[in-house]
Formats: sequence, structure tokens, C-alpha cells
Amino acid sequence: MERKWRKIWGLIGLLLLNFVNNVSSLSLTITKVECVYEIVRSEGDIVSGNFVVVDHHIFWSSDHPGIDFSITSPGGDILHNLKGTSGDKFSFKAPRSGLYQFCFHNPLSTPETIALYIHIGHIPNEHNLAKNEHVDPINVKIAELREALEAVTTEQKYLKARDAVHRRTNESTKKRVIGYTVGEYILLTIASVLQVVYIRRLFSKSVGYNRI
Amino acid sequence: MSGNAKLRRSVMFQAVPLVVLMLASSNAPVGDAIWLNVPPTGTKCVSEEIQSNVVVLSDYVVVSDDHGHVPTISAKVTSPYGNNLHHKENVTHGQFAFTTQEAGNYLACFWTDSHTRGAGEVSVNIEWKTGIAAKDWESVARKEKIEGVELELRKLEGAVEAIHENLLYLRDREAEMRTTSENTNARVAWFSIMSLGICIVVSGSQIWYLKCYFQKKKLI
Repeated sequence: MERKWRKIWGLIGLLLLNFVNNVSSLSLTITKVECVYEIVRSEGDIVSGNFVVVDHHIFWSSDHPGIDFSITSPGGDILHNLKGTSGDKFSFKAPRSGLYQFCFHNPLSTPETIALYIHIGHIPNEHNLAKNEHVDPINVKIAELREALEAVTTEQKYLKARDAVHRRTNESTKKRVIGYTVGEYILLTIASVLQVVYIRRLFSKSVGYNRI
Repeated sequence: MSGNAKLRRSVMFQAVPLVVLMLASSNAPVGDAIWLNVPPTGTKCVSEEIQSNVVVLSDYVVVSDDHGHVPTISAKVTSPYGNNLHHKENVTHGQFAFTTQEAGNYLACFWTDSHTRGAGEVSVNIEWKTGIAAKDWESVARKEKIEGVELELRKLEGAVEAIHENLLYLRDREAEMRTTSENTNARVAWFSIMSLGICIVVSGSQIWYLKCYFQKKKLI
């Protein structure tokens, strides 16, 4: 039932759409390990993407170890391995088709949110097709143009995510400036009032007349 | 991995009737989806920060290894203000589409149902399309009677417009952030000077008050 449904969708897709984009842009919350899988339909496709750690709570120092990221091919080889990052871009040519695994590992116990964007780009070329058909060069050019535009979109998604992180930092700085300054004023006034009260008590008659 | 083998088989199953169509179009089709593993307990949520007035289209299917027992999941989609946009229980596949009314974080959560629990992690195939990717090109092609290269170029034009919109959005955000930064910069300067001023005023008033007090007490 599921396969038949998929087959129908595939046929409709082929009939009316020559080229469907393969993009996924999501935010995930990572507690320990989270893996996202994508299918690469043909060997030689360029898989590109980026991820940004959005929920980076820096309280006192920027001593957060970061997030570990790895990409595993369907054959089990690790294509990309990054330790302790707060965001990065990746791009590789898929050595084979199949299910690719993009895994995040959070070394700390606080959950982190990650904005992930993956794009799988396919340019039709001579290798994938049978002998008695040829690839129309205009379709190849259109595919290349599309891939170039997708590269721009990928960069924009990265910029958007980084802008969101920057905005968070800015708002946090604004709140800290106001909060800590007002708190500082209040504490200063309270401390000086307490000082005065204490000195008054030292000199009051009832406490110690001849102590001073 | 048996899942991979089944996947290849299902792809091959589709390939035979599609080769005929591929000969005609000579453009290999590329579908889009990501796989997630929903844990047996707890929910798996994905979210995206979306602006207002954007079309969101999504399809989710449970991918199962053995066909005798297909696990079911429940899905819930909420808007940033908490409105429930889609809620389904005990399904193996579903889809939802909506146009965003407000800008913010849209959350889609999946969890396994209580009766299919114990089967381990359930793989869910999620297709999530927003904005230009969710545009219905078939109806555009039908309505304007264009096809082939012209349709492809029209899609490229749509992609370029989306890039332009994104750039304008980023520019606006940068302008807002620049305002906030400059505000904070000015505030830091003012508040530090005011802090110095308050310090001087407070200590001055302390000294003056104590002087008055001691004079009253005839200690000076």
C-alpha cells in the first residue's frame, strides 16, 4: 500500500516536474545523540549543507566544548568528522547512492538546538543513462544554473541561522547591561544606607556610651 | 543493513516503469525527504523559524522493515503562539499544509503510540517544504500552458526571487541589530557615567548626613 502510494507519487512527479529540489532545513534539539538520514539517489551527487548551534548558552565564559558532528556513508565510512564546533558548512561528492547519516553528539547534558540545512544536488550526466539516450545539453546547463542558485540559498540559510544567534547574543547583552546596572545602583544605595545606619548605631547612646 | 536493502528494492521497483519516462524527459528525478528515528518513549520534535505568509507543505510516512506490523505514530504541529495546526494519532502516514500567519518557530512533534511501543525506534520519513519549494508548479504549468525548458526557467526565476527576498530579510535584520548594538553601546557609556555620578552623590550625601548627625550629637 505504501509502496504503491510512493510509486504513484513518483510517476506524477516525473510526469509534471522535471527536476524537484532536494532540500531539508530543520532545527533539532539534541540531548545526547541525534541522527538525521537522507537518501542520495545517484552516485556523484554533491551533498552540501551547514549547521549552526543556536542555543549556545554562554553564561560566564565561552568554555562550551561544542557539538560533535559526523557524516557516515551507507557503506559505513565516516566522511566528515568535526569535534567541538558551534556551526560549520560541509560539502562532498557522494561516493555511492544510499542512505547517508548525519549525526550530532552533545557532550554536555544541557540540550542544544541546532539549525540544520542539507541540499543534495544532481546534475544529469552521461554516466547514469542507458546507451540509446542522450542528455540534452540545455538540461545540463539548467541543472548547473539551478545548483549555483541552490549554493546561494544554502549560504543564505547559514547566514540566517548565524544572524539568529547573533541577535540572541545582542538581546542578552542589552538585558544584561540594563539589569546589572540598575542592580548595581540599587545595591550601591542600599550599601551606603546600611553604612550610615551602622555608624549611627555605633554612636547611639543606648548601645555603648563610652565604647568609642 | 536490511533497511537499506529494502530501500534499494523499493527504488528498483519504481525504476522500471519510470525508465520510460526518463527517456522522454532526460532529467533524473530527485525526491526530498529526511529520515528521523522516533524513540519508543518521548517525543521527537523538529522546528523551523518561518516568516509570516509562507506556504508550508509536509508529508510524513512511517518506514517499516517488516510488513506484517507497521508501527503507528502520532504527530502534532503547533504555531509559535501555541495554536494547534495539525494533530493526528495512530497513523502510518499523513500530510499537512498551511500558510503561516505569524512569524516564529513552528514545531512538529512525533511520538510513538502506546500500543506499538516496545518495537524500538520507529523510522519516519519527513518531507518538509517551505516557501518556494512548496510551490505547486504543476498547476502553474497547466494554467499558463508552459512546459519543458520554459517551466524550468520559470522555476529558476522563482528561486532567484526567493533569494532576493531572503537577502532583503537579512538586510532588515542586520539593520535592526545594528540599531540594538548602537543603543547598547550608548547605554553602556551613559550607565557607567551615571554609576560614577551616583557613587559620588551617594558618598557625598553620606558624608554630609554624618557631619550633620555628629554636629547634632555635639561630637564634633
